[in-house]
Amino acid sequence: MLPQEQDRFLPIVNVSHIMKKVMPANAKILKYFINFITGEASNKCQREKRKTINGDDLLWVMTTLGFEDYVEPLKGYL
Amino acid sequence: MRQAGAYSGLLCGGVSGRTGPHSLPLARIKKIMKNSGEGVKMISGEAPIIFSKACDLFIEELTRRSWIMAIQGKRRTLHKEDLASAVIATDIFDFLITLVSNSDSHAVGGATNVMEVETIDYS
Repeated sequence: MLPQEQDRFLPIVNVSHIMKKVMPANAKILKYFINFITGEASNKCQREKRKTINGDDLLWVMTTLGFEDYVEPLKGYL
Repeated sequence: MRQAGAYSGLLCGGVSGRTGPHSLPLARIKKIMKNSGEGVKMISGEAPIIFSKACDLFIEELTRRSWIMAIQGKRRTLHKEDLASAVIATDIFDFLITLVSNSDSHAVGGATNVMEVETIDYS
């Protein structure tokens, strides 16, 4: 008899427990990253007298701030 | 056991089918964006989706650079010091320096927080 699909994976509770140990570091760093990019995108929108931050603004900011390697993979999400 | 719904994104690959399952919650990303400053008024629909993927790429790059630091230290366990070294050694991560500086010992988790990682051949 084939084992149930759940039986082939680690219990979710255990995985969550492991992840939560590492999460505070990752969450804080990601928050800084999002704030950093969004802040610059917001400045760009204000300069151009626009109210909505769009995907192109984010990609432009990433290029400006040195994250140009991210732009090509992200273009497909626009 | 409760199964994921048909529209959860986990099974159908995101909202539009082409964006893939998002590893980070889009609503949370939008909330962080709105809290970035008073200048942030409106956010387009694709912005959180782009950020979700960008965060994936960002974590991947930061982890790889931290892993290089661990290898240079002849270790195979990633410590928060490796993260700090990677940030200090990389110009584009300058905005994180205050977060990983030694003066704030709780900046990136306690000293006991280490991550066991497998050796990955990227060649």
